[in-house]
Amino acid sequence: MSTVMEQMPIVFNALNVGFLQTLKLFFVTLLGAFPLGLIIAFGSMSAFRPLRYFTRFIVWIIRGTPLMIQLLIVYYFPGLVLGKTIWGGGESGRFLAASVSFIINYACYFSEIYRGGIQSVPKGQQEAGLVLGMTKSQIFFKVTLLQMIKRIVPPISNEIITLVKDTSLARIIALQEIIWAGQAFLKGSQGISGAIWPLFFTAFYYLVFSGILTIFLGWLEKKLDYFK
Amino acid sequence: MEILEVQNIEKSFEHTKVLKDISFSLEQGQALAIIGSSGSGKTTLLRCLNFLETPDSGKIIVHGETLFDAASEETQREKDIRMKRLHFGMVFQAFHLFPQYTALQNVMLAGQLLAKEKPGFKENKKEIFSEIKEQAKELLDKMGLSDRISHYPHQLSGGQQQRVAIARALALKPDILCFDEPTSALDPELTGEVLKVICSLAEQKTTMVIVTHEMAFARDVADQVIFMDDGIILEQGDARQVIEHPKEERTRQFLSRFAENS
Amino acid sequence: MKKKIFALVLSMVLCFSMAACGSEGGDAEGEAVVTPDTTEDQDVGRDSNEDGESDLAYVKEKGTLIVGITDFEPMDYKDDSGEWIGFDADMAKAFAESLGVEAEFVEIDWDNKVLELDAKSIDCVWNGMTLTDEVTSAMECSRAYCNNAQVAIVKTEDADKYQTVESLKDLNFAAEVGSAGEGVLAELSYNCTSVKTQADALMEVAAGTSDAAVIDSLMAAAMVGEGTGYENLTYTASFNSEEYGVGFRKGSDLANELNNFFAISSTDGSLMTTAEKYGVQAAVIGSDE
Repeated sequence: MSTVMEQMPIVFNALNVGFLQTLKLFFVTLLGAFPLGLIIAFGSMSAFRPLRYFTRFIVWIIRGTPLMIQLLIVYYFPGLVLGKTIWGGGESGRFLAASVSFIINYACYFSEIYRGGIQSVPKGQQEAGLVLGMTKSQIFFKVTLLQMIKRIVPPISNEIITLVKDTSLARIIALQEIIWAGQAFLKGSQGISGAIWPLFFTAFYYLVFSGILTIFLGWLEKKLDYFK
Repeated sequence: MEILEVQNIEKSFEHTKVLKDISFSLEQGQALAIIGSSGSGKTTLLRCLNFLETPDSGKIIVHGETLFDAASEETQREKDIRMKRLHFGMVFQAFHLFPQYTALQNVMLAGQLLAKEKPGFKENKKEIFSEIKEQAKELLDKMGLSDRISHYPHQLSGGQQQRVAIARALALKPDILCFDEPTSALDPELTGEVLKVICSLAEQKTTMVIVTHEMAFARDVADQVIFMDDGIILEQGDARQVIEHPKEERTRQFLSRFAENS
Repeated sequence: MKKKIFALVLSMVLCFSMAACGSEGGDAEGEAVVTPDTTEDQDVGRDSNEDGESDLAYVKEKGTLIVGITDFEPMDYKDDSGEWIGFDADMAKAFAESLGVEAEFVEIDWDNKVLELDAKSIDCVWNGMTLTDEVTSAMECSRAYCNNAQVAIVKTEDADKYQTVESLKDLNFAAEVGSAGEGVLAELSYNCTSVKTQADALMEVAAGTSDAAVIDSLMAAAMVGEGTGYENLTYTASFNSEEYGVGFRKGSDLANELNNFFAISSTDGSLMTTAEKYGVQAAVIGSDE
């Protein structure tokens, strides 16, 4: 049987491929959830009551159910009902379904953080903008936004670090991210079977990546420290 | 010449009538002080002038143009209100400077945004922006803050912040400058520097409406004084006249509380 | 059974949440594109789908047979170039070819295999699947094509003590959740911890968290003993034997189609040749008994 040394190139290669999938899901989720969360936040603060209630209802559903169930529903539900999957059969379909689930889920969490951030900016800021003849959107983008960002960086950082690890949930619809890749060597893959260490080693990838993110987010927080 | 005319303004919140039949007028270059106890409606009146509150009835006329008429929907269109606001400048009790911008940027921001909407901006962007910057620097200089233009609000004292806020309001060259208790949030030793600035603005014949608790200041700087009590104008007239020899018993009572200070 | 209930609940949720889904035509919609004449070159009678639509025609129409698998040597696994090979994989490719379509392999979560079929994200499960009652009731299955047994895995040093089923009765077992192994242990009322995969069951024994495991003999042959990842484990007593089959959607006519294909390939010898290539010839069931 091959030694760990001999296994390494094969295992690392597989883990890298899996981790690439993890990273892809991570960045696609952030890219989608940041703007969508803002839209949902505005919906949940809307003066139009039905829209406000509807948005809060959706947020309640998404935050009140496990992401794992949402993944299962998003991926399998259309096929069960329409008799034809809308995601396509291959790996890319699973990735798409996972991305949609993650974006919606995280957008809802972000929206609540945004809402808190926007509401914590003093009303006087908005009034000061108004009396200076600014439009509502100018006030939002030129005055409120940066103050809101400063306030939400710490809670959003938490969510981002959680997301790194949550990506492993996509395994439930057989998205082959890094834990899936590590687990494959347990039951046997590419001539290596019963190897436990690749699965344990995936933790190292997560650790390094969340370490890099922590440094970046800390830097961002510091960067925004120039005003109070 | 009358620059501002306020006619029969009324305003209620829920079931409380905050302003009852308020009418007054103001001449170009004059300073009007509004005094009265807390909750008498002074601040609400000022907010109505700046379209931060919408009166239930009445009219606001500037330079003979009816900016607001509660009876006319046409004067209340959202998109017009923005430009109408520019007739008034507003200095808040709590300054409300934008914390992420320096003193200079605070003064320039609105002017830059408005300039962008004007035709021919793109071609002359550089000149327009440098003009705005020059003007902003000049204003801050006038406020005695030429060495503070690159400071962020949190690096400035309350008095300095309020002077930046005054410069910010002046930058848009409003017809009428409104002050909402400009020194109430300041430590006593800092009020002087702000009052001095307002004094010098009065000397330069800036038209102003000042809500204040500083009676001596109102007497010395304002041309006219309005005394408000429970949503109505109880007494109005020449500043020295009203403050030193009030006609109404209620005014006298109110002023006596300040007597020992002045 | 659980999967069926899950699907039912999902459907109910939909009916409540979407008024638009009023028509019960959900099932038929996806297959409406199928033209009946695509089946004319088939000379053997077949089961037709419950709602009268042909799964065979559906697969031919889209041109791919999506095969749901897990990485499971020697049935389905990847060669050095990343190609899926193995006894099952090779047969699946040959079967797809006989239908004139392309075989596409997709790794699935084994727990969700029925869901994957019903949601049409795969067309069949072809992965050394034991034909249990649970499997045959939820899927349309082919005939058995391979024999298998459930065997006990213990540490090599203890192997002498545990040569019979009886001798194992006081041990703590690990077995894959929902597997045939878990079934036999439950029948015997042996102490059993359910784990996620057969490989996890092996790990339990290797790590000493369980005394023994019950897994497929085919898998045991490949994964424990000399020259494998678990050199200090071995398999001893075998429980009741069982058979492997291929699963399709309930009511699918593809199952019958595959039986015909098995008959032909066993006659022309290609079934045995493929089996020999992967060392499973002893277990393969050549022709219908």
